Amino acid sequence: MMLVRARKQNPPISTGRNGLTQYQTKPLAELCALLIDELHGELPSRIFAMLLTKGRSTVPQLAQYTSMTPRQIRHGLAVLHQHNLLFYHVDAGSEFAFYEANPENAYNLIRTGKILEMVETSFGAPAKDVVQNLLLSGQTRISDLVAAYKEKIEHASKEAATNGEDDDWTAEPNGINGDAPSTNKAGPVVKSTAHLNSIICRLVEAELIEVVHSTTFESPQDVQKIVEKEVMDKFFPAGVKGNKAKIEFQEKMAEGLRKMRAESKSLKRKLEQQGSGIKRRKLMENLSMAVTNGNHEEDLDPVLDPRQVIRINYEKCLVDLRNRRLVQFATDMYGETTAYVYGVLLKLLTKDLPRCRQDPLADTSDDKHDTEKPFIVTTDLILDNLKTSVDLSLGIGKAERRQISRSAAERIDPYPPAKRTFLEEAEVEGEASADEDEDDDESSEESEDDADYKPVANGDTNGVNGTNGTRVKFAGTGSAAKEPRRMDRPTQLRQHLLILCESAQRFVRHCGPDEWTVDFPPLMRALRETELDTVIERKCGRQGLRLARILRSKGKLEEKALPNVALMRKPELQQKMLEMQSAGFVSVQEVPRDLKADVKKSFFLWFCDVERSLGHMLANSYTTMVHCMQVLEALRYRERDVLETTKRTDVRGREKDTMRKEYYERYSRYLECERKLFAQMMRLDDLVSVLRDF
Amino acid sequence: MSGRGGRGGRGRGGPMVNGRRAVAQNSVPWATDTEILLDGKPSELFPPYDVPKPPPLTRKEDKVISYFLLFREQCQDGPLYTQARSRLSQTTTSSTNPSASTATATTSRAYGQDQINQRYGQVSKATVDAFTAVPTYSQRFTRAPRALPDLASRPFAKEFFPPELHATLDGEDEVAASRPGKRRRLAGGGKTLGLSNITSYKTAEELFLYDGLLPDQQQQQQQQIGQPNGRKQEGELDKALQLMSTLEKRGEGEDDAGFLSGEDDEDWVRGGNGEDDEDGVAEEDDQYEDESGDDYNAEAYFDGNQDDDDFDDGGDDGGDYF
Repeated sequence: MMLVRARKQNPPISTGRNGLTQYQTKPLAELCALLIDELHGELPSRIFAMLLTKGRSTVPQLAQYTSMTPRQIRHGLAVLHQHNLLFYHVDAGSEFAFYEANPENAYNLIRTGKILEMVETSFGAPAKDVVQNLLLSGQTRISDLVAAYKEKIEHASKEAATNGEDDDWTAEPNGINGDAPSTNKAGPVVKSTAHLNSIICRLVEAELIEVVHSTTFESPQDVQKIVEKEVMDKFFPAGVKGNKAKIEFQEKMAEGLRKMRAESKSLKRKLEQQGSGIKRRKLMENLSMAVTNGNHEEDLDPVLDPRQVIRINYEKCLVDLRNRRLVQFATDMYGETTAYVYGVLLKLLTKDLPRCRQDPLADTSDDKHDTEKPFIVTTDLILDNLKTSVDLSLGIGKAERRQISRSAAERIDPYPPAKRTFLEEAEVEGEASADEDEDDDESSEESEDDADYKPVANGDTNGVNGTNGTRVKFAGTGSAAKEPRRMDRPTQLRQHLLILCESAQRFVRHCGPDEWTVDFPPLMRALRETELDTVIERKCGRQGLRLARILRSKGKLEEKALPNVALMRKPELQQKMLEMQSAGFVSVQEVPRDLKADVKKSFFLWFCDVERSLGHMLANSYTTMVHCMQVLEALRYRERDVLETTKRTDVRGREKDTMRKEYYERYSRYLECERKLFAQMMRLDDLVSVLRDF
Repeated sequence: MSGRGGRGGRGRGGPMVNGRRAVAQNSVPWATDTEILLDGKPSELFPPYDVPKPPPLTRKEDKVISYFLLFREQCQDGPLYTQARSRLSQTTTSSTNPSASTATATTSRAYGQDQINQRYGQVSKATVDAFTAVPTYSQRFTRAPRALPDLASRPFAKEFFPPELHATLDGEDEVAASRPGKRRRLAGGGKTLGLSNITSYKTAEELFLYDGLLPDQQQQQQQQIGQPNGRKQEGELDKALQLMSTLEKRGEGEDDAGFLSGEDDEDWVRGGNGEDDEDGVAEEDDQYEDESGDDYNAEAYFDGNQDDDDFDDGGDDGGDYF
């Protein structure tokens, strides 16, 4: 019975939350292979692409699929594995290992730049250097890393010594040495092995570096199987029977999975046991404020076990990247001071948050544990972590006392918002008010791209931002100047936090007296919708965005009713709706009135499926990224003679001397294009991470 | 799909024989509206199109991309990068029609794994392009592409690798058992993890544009570049050729370099190169330049080789040159 026929132009794309279904898309597989090709070469890339298409395979299988020799395959696999791009599983007693691709990490390659930038801003340049080398060499034994740094430091000091003697010799612009003098002046970024040790300690404490252990490279499915077997053997030798046993089994599974996951944090735990480096460092800072040289604190850090093997923990990196994205979101909405406060809050809150999205298997029973040890930040804690140079009075408006409903503003929400079944419902409250201040939104969208998040907010820029927060009831214009009463710092902080609480996006939840928390899932949903709105506006204009919002708040709307609701003329409206439909933002459903399904009599219902549009956006972003890489490849092919010349060892470092002018121009034009293409990819990645990972 | 509009009776009125024409005559806009101006021109082949332009990079984005590019540069410099391209269209200059081969390289469809595999492994002795394959001196400066990663040059945490890869990690996974990685093991005696030397590299672009030169050198170059432009350059070409001929008559004296380029007295090589660049000596000279530059560049060659050793750390490529 075809009573209900949904007219779908585009096939629905599943945006499953559990990592696997997302990776079914072909463009993503292509993108991963291209990224590996870009960074690690053709051989690993071919093998990786094959693993993605064929799934779990052994070396002989791969050799057959790719028609390469097993020797080549082995080399390629070794490279891939070194860079954490593989899972493998060896059955006891079997000859061959089964390899599986790790598309998460392959995709994360594009985020390298962002991660490095993030590490630099929050931990300083030396930490960035360490992370970079760690990313470069993949999983590394600590002793190897230390040895490498040692060699480099020695080399640098030696060169510095010779450099002092004859300056003009090294100044010769010769190849790579050409820019050596500039570095020698600054000295090596990491000054000593003790310094390196301290950096690694700090990064381990921040969970950005994790320890590799025996089960790291088992694929998630294998891990699950292993744990399952263990649990079955240990607790349910007779099998799981009955509902109660099933629940118990699930709990045990989750516990086992968590235990296994916690292994990668062993180093951090050890550090904490040895007397929390952070605390001691703080103590030292207080004691020796005058001592500018950081040598003292380095000695305090325990020497790490040189046999440990470490690697980058992308999951935690993503948490930090998400924080930055949210701060930017808050900047767009409320201005810099409030966003700065929010940034501090997020940093404190997510210090122990291991990943952005909870694992559906391991974290099922976590909810109960969460209430015992919830993620909560108190006002005092935030206050302690704010920089004193930040003027908190900026960005808050003032209103008459009677205009504020104190009880509503200070309302305490002890529980996270209940899960709503329909996404459309969740938006109803927000959208009603959001329609009114479209202007406000637009201005923030424009500034979105060039808004640089500055952790240290200086007074000059902040003055402007107060105007942004018009939605908040504290914002009164002009009254601030008249008001003689000045708030003290904690009150100001509270005001900022309350502003964040009141937002339609629910940046913060006031979960107890002077206690604050963030519910990430609904907040991220709001962020995703904002992204979607931006895209709709760019593609279909303001009218289109308005129509989409109407549909979202009203649910399904009949074709004839829509013009009345939208206050638009019918032909215009129809054209707009068709445009939106072909772009995949809205869909139409045909509901016949009787069994004959007469077209003239049936209803046509427009509706807006947010999830599906987001899925489309995600798929489009992958495709566009692939396209960027392909364009780059074509460019490389076109400029291949120039590129070959610049790669020559005698040309490197003195291109201007050795190359023709036209070559030089072509080369610089190529570099510019390359930069732009990568910039485009980074921006798309911003979107992808909001849609998929955060 | 077709149901909705299809039955609305636009074409149903009137007899079909000549009624259609009658309807058409009355209903077309220019029949009813006499004021209308018909634009009989064909539609434009390339109508103006508003190309969406992304906003320029912010400082933060710029930094992010610089870091990424630096990272890529370091990756490609590292021992695990396999440079060799075995796809035909990328490496060899296909002499007949390059556009077609780019198309095959990037966009052609492949049906099935066999066809995908056929794209690779195309670069071999049989596919060498005879026009570019003649060995030239400058080829010595190009780094030999590495077909397999140089695993022996660095240490690995072997316990986390599957046992079947252990031999490969030691660099003992050779084709013939007769030469079990003799050279490699010598090279990797110490086996330290080499940190990339390009850490100090800002970006390729910055390095190139500002060249790491001293400001006064840059000024000189700007002057040089500023002078010969467009037509002027062509006039100067003749002049340069004349100069060359006079030079050859004179024989190679010390003063010649100064006579030629006017500023770089101490270094013939550089003067010669600079002259070659800025004045744009005719193309046919190019090949001979390479040959004649042989003697001078020998020095540069050794220098270059040192560099190479430096940043390869294993220095295994050094062996190939000799």
